[in-house]
Amino acid sequence: MSQRTMRGRAVRWGVPVAAMAVVAAAVGAGPVIAAVQGDPTLPERTANQLLADAVQAAKSGPKPMSGTLVQTASFGLPGLPDMAGLGGTSPAALLTGSHELKVWYGGADRMRFALPGRMSETDLIVNGGQVWLWESDAEKATRITGDTEAAARPETAAPTAVTPQQLADELLSKPGTAVGVTNTERVADRAAYQLTFAPKDASSLVREVRLALDGETLIPLRVQVYAKSAAEPAFEVGFTSVAFTPPAPGNFTFTPPPGAKVEEKRIDDLTAVAGKRAERAEGIKEEAKIVGEGWTAVAVLPFSEQDLKRQLPPADQELPGGRAPRQDGGQGVGAVVDAVLKSAQPVSGPWGSGRVVRTKLVSALLTDDGRLLVGAVTPEKLTEVAGQK
Amino acid sequence: MSTVSGPVPVTGAAGDAAGTADAAVPGGPGGAGGGAAAGTAGGAVPAARAADAVTAVRAAGAVRAWLRLLGSELGMIFRRPRNLAVLAVLAAVPVLLGLALRLFTGVDGGGGAGGGELAILGRVTGNALFLAFAALSVLVQFMLPVAVSVVAGDSVAGEAGAGTLRYLLVAPAGRARLLAVKYVGAVVFCLAAVSTVVLSALLTGLALFPVGPVTLLSGATVPFTDGLLRMGLVVLYVAAGMAALAAVSLAISTLTEVAIGAIAATVVLVVAAQVLRAIPQLADLQPYLLTHWWTGFDGVLRDPVAFGDMGRGLLVFAAYTAVAGSVAWARFTGRDVTC
Repeated sequence: MSQRTMRGRAVRWGVPVAAMAVVAAAVGAGPVIAAVQGDPTLPERTANQLLADAVQAAKSGPKPMSGTLVQTASFGLPGLPDMAGLGGTSPAALLTGSHELKVWYGGADRMRFALPGRMSETDLIVNGGQVWLWESDAEKATRITGDTEAAARPETAAPTAVTPQQLADELLSKPGTAVGVTNTERVADRAAYQLTFAPKDASSLVREVRLALDGETLIPLRVQVYAKSAAEPAFEVGFTSVAFTPPAPGNFTFTPPPGAKVEEKRIDDLTAVAGKRAERAEGIKEEAKIVGEGWTAVAVLPFSEQDLKRQLPPADQELPGGRAPRQDGGQGVGAVVDAVLKSAQPVSGPWGSGRVVRTKLVSALLTDDGRLLVGAVTPEKLTEVAGQK
Repeated sequence: MSTVSGPVPVTGAAGDAAGTADAAVPGGPGGAGGGAAAGTAGGAVPAARAADAVTAVRAAGAVRAWLRLLGSELGMIFRRPRNLAVLAVLAAVPVLLGLALRLFTGVDGGGGAGGGELAILGRVTGNALFLAFAALSVLVQFMLPVAVSVVAGDSVAGEAGAGTLRYLLVAPAGRARLLAVKYVGAVVFCLAAVSTVVLSALLTGLALFPVGPVTLLSGATVPFTDGLLRMGLVVLYVAAGMAALAAVSLAISTLTEVAIGAIAATVVLVVAAQVLRAIPQLADLQPYLLTHWWTGFDGVLRDPVAFGDMGRGLLVFAAYTAVAGSVAWARFTGRDVTC
């Protein structure tokens, strides 16, 4: 073959290589574009000023907006079976993988949240006194009635009790936390401030918590929790796109489509369930004891595996290998517990013996004398606390 | 055995010298007439104008030649019994699906169709249009990709295997142009296959299920005509996804002279991608898989339409098409065709 054809061939194959390079560049373009644009520079603010302003802004209520929220979790739960399923909404599913939520916010009494799944969607629409929950899978529209405004009120009441400045002071006065602030962050293509809170105690599993606030409106755009053992955040929830313009009014109107199942539920019924749970949690809290404070607080509570198993639906015990049936929240939780218990490592020491479960953010120690110690700390710290009795 | 080695010097490559031949040979009567006109014009007007006119005429001739080549390619695709059989099978599936849903679904609206991507099956009984969505979401997983690989995988390898590729290359068609025609032919087949499924599903749906306002996934209700319009967007989106697979299949097709090898390789790639997609531990890989985006047309069933997600899907399709297309081009234009 002549040299010329050889060269021609090399040039020719340069085209697909270039095409691949362009695609690879486009995939990784986010950081590159950000670098070219340069860091956004917002007026400098101290952490204290920033928090005070943010609280002030939160008090006057967020502006009308719409956007897409993405929640990503990789807690590193050992041996966790797949519950991610696309668009899974069970509590267990939220522990792993990535989930998308679309938000339209037109005011305190006009909002819509949509949880898109593959060929399905779950919507919560609030418009004035009307609250609808729409589940496309079951073709079911649930109208939630009752004094919904009262249910929403307590949250807004809390921050008004103190001035923003006091709240900011209080948040920042906690010892054992290193607070930092940067004004060069970019979230959902908007310039943002970022507050970082890092525990100083070496026994904490948390490296830092990052909170990004929109540079203009000071609305929180992203929260990330970093574990010491990983470069990627163990938990993250934040906007991937956001627009501070009033959403189209059509988003807030909902009439049940013909043929759909329509149910009516009183908000009291829903809160009753939550209340019962809260009661039970209250009961546990009485028995529990918190050792230490701040980042390295460890909860010590009485625990027996049999009790736990009894409370859970028994269905998952028949499934081999801890495989979770999808979609069902209760069974999913059972499978998580099963898988986590199976992965527990036996430990022993002068304090006694037990089994320890370690994840990126949380460690748990089950002692053989019937105690459960949980905290965002290293297992060593847990055994130390277990020895204190 | 004769050998056509390396690139065949034709269009564009040799510049002006090849230009006259280019305009005269493939253009048929139009091309020849154009050549004569260019000749007379060249004598009367300044040289620059003449050159312009020649270029324009040559371009028109090239387009005509290109269309002629495309016409014969399309004729070959749509006259081949094998391809017609594939289309017939694709048309039959929605009919079977519709009949099954009509006959074996309970009065409760058939909620028990299972979750995930097939949840849509439960809604078919309520509206004719949903049969088309359901049929597409079933077929797009495997049968449509197979149909596309049968055509695109065969396009170059089939001609090489049958020995006809040699003659195509001896005619001054140009390798790049021939490849482009092959690809456009495959894309037209993609569109035809998707349209066949949708039309068959719509007709079956109209016959078996009620027609009326369409309930979107978001719970909003739109008029039936609006639903049809959205269906049109779905056809284009799925066809774009299939066209990306056709580019991959065409690239494989240029690597071999055994058509069935190219077809099988494409199908294996699709199956491998679907398997990777099903492994939860590899969830991070999903956005890079072509197969992941094929079902992304559910965006049109939302309110407001999720153009963002579908746009991302189209970008992925474009990326696959660009890379596979350029690989096919590099391989085909530099290849020795020996039989």
